[in-house]
Amino acid sequence: MARKPRAKQDRSLVRIHAIRQWLLTHGRVARSSGWRLLAQPGSSLLTAFVIAVSLLLPALLFALNSNLTQLLAEFQQDPQISLYLQNTLTETEGLQVSEDLLSRPDIATVDFISSAQGLLEFSAASGLGEVLLQLPSNPLPATILVTPVSEEAALIDALATELGLHPAVALVQIDRLWRQRLQAVSRLISVAGSGLAVIVVLGLFVIVGNTIKLAIENRRMEISVIKLVGGTDSYIARPFLYSGLFYDSVGGLLATVLQLIVLYLVNIPLRDLLKLYDSAFVLQGFDLSGAMLLILAGTSIGWVAALIASLRHIWSLEP
Amino acid sequence: MITFDKVSMRYGDGGAALTNISFEIKKGELAFVTGHSGAGKSTLLKLILAIEKSSGGQLIVNGVNVNRITRRRTPYHRRQIGTVFQDHQLLLDRTVFDNVALPLEIAGFDPRDAARRVRAALDKVGLLHKERLNPAKLSGGEQQRVGIARAVVNRPRIILADEPTGNLDPELSAEVMRVFEQFKNVGVSLLVASHDASLITSLHYRTLTLDHGRLVADQPELKHGPQASR
Repeated sequence: MARKPRAKQDRSLVRIHAIRQWLLTHGRVARSSGWRLLAQPGSSLLTAFVIAVSLLLPALLFALNSNLTQLLAEFQQDPQISLYLQNTLTETEGLQVSEDLLSRPDIATVDFISSAQGLLEFSAASGLGEVLLQLPSNPLPATILVTPVSEEAALIDALATELGLHPAVALVQIDRLWRQRLQAVSRLISVAGSGLAVIVVLGLFVIVGNTIKLAIENRRMEISVIKLVGGTDSYIARPFLYSGLFYDSVGGLLATVLQLIVLYLVNIPLRDLLKLYDSAFVLQGFDLSGAMLLILAGTSIGWVAALIASLRHIWSLEP
Repeated sequence: MITFDKVSMRYGDGGAALTNISFEIKKGELAFVTGHSGAGKSTLLKLILAIEKSSGGQLIVNGVNVNRITRRRTPYHRRQIGTVFQDHQLLLDRTVFDNVALPLEIAGFDPRDAARRVRAALDKVGLLHKERLNPAKLSGGEQQRVGIARAVVNRPRIILADEPTGNLDPELSAEVMRVFEQFKNVGVSLLVASHDASLITSLHYRTLTLDHGRLVADQPELKHGPQASR
């Protein structure tokens, strides 16, 4: 009776021992392939640097895009409709129109800007005050800025069309065109970023694959001997997988550092520019999760590329 | 342990390397394979190791049908066989110790157990004092003995040797054969390819003679003849 639990314990001890052995083996292989890379610091670093630059390009594009998206969100808060009134309308009539509009349930706020007020703001903002004063009459129409209740594009469009039919309104403009353009640009950047990412992944496969292939060629003799004394393909591939892993994790780390530098350099002039626009916008693009993602992406690409390359070449190497 | 049954081996270009070979090596048996160079001695060993595939017949090694062995199983098959290569096949980027430890490392041995076994194997071939050296610093005979230590370190059930005494003087050759005999005496089957006629005739073991890929003679062991010195 007493022997049974003992046997069970022995089995689990054996299993623990096997796992420990497995971890030790991996640790040893990882260390030795690490040392092998450190033995040629120049070429190893160069490979890692090429990988870093490849990773950096799509990473920067994605950073640019996430900034644009954030910028868009800041301006997206209240879409407005500008109604330019007929020049023939007096200021009192204009005010009356805006008050009528405010009573509509689908309009949240109205802001009446008389033509005189508009001229004042324009000359102040444009610096053309002197020139404008020379004009015989005020060329600017009175304007009503309408903020719709709904933020839905279709409803806003419908409202704008309806307001355009008002006899006092000469022209309707939805403050959305430039935002749509920006959105289109953002979409374009995102597509370009994805395309570039695909190309970079393929490129990394080639870079890592080729590096591993050369390493395998250099150790042909060793691989042949290991095969002769009973080494499995995965045993032979293991050190190469670790070197692929190391190359790309160091490459990912380097890419993160480079990205940090680029963003820092861009941030200085950008801050000045944004101050001019009175924006509270803060440059995004460097955070821990992004950096982790970059390193993780690089590392996993490196590992998979090394796996494919090593298995392919080790398979074909027969004693 | 090793059974050849009408085994033939043809090269890709149609040339026959081995034709209709049949013999059996039992547990604890030591046999020489001899013949002129190109007679098929090395091919015979390669078939056993599943480096080459036979084109006909049946080859059973240690209970494994080598003709049908999968790529996945091949390494485990080779781990049961210790092989001494003609050109040593030692790795020059590591020490003698690490070369001998390689089969154990591959098999996932505990490093402490492995170290004990490596030292025992090196002691057996008289090279324990050179474990820290690079094999390139050793003489041809010493390199051959390192190869032997590596072949036996895993305590295989079968040992194959391709010209193991090729680079050795008669005295060292006899010493190598004594190491092989020790293994034979504990039940290991050995197949030794050699064209060293004087060595073969002095030992009176079973001798298979190949000629142009055919087994032309199977001289049984002379039970009462003189043996290598103990």
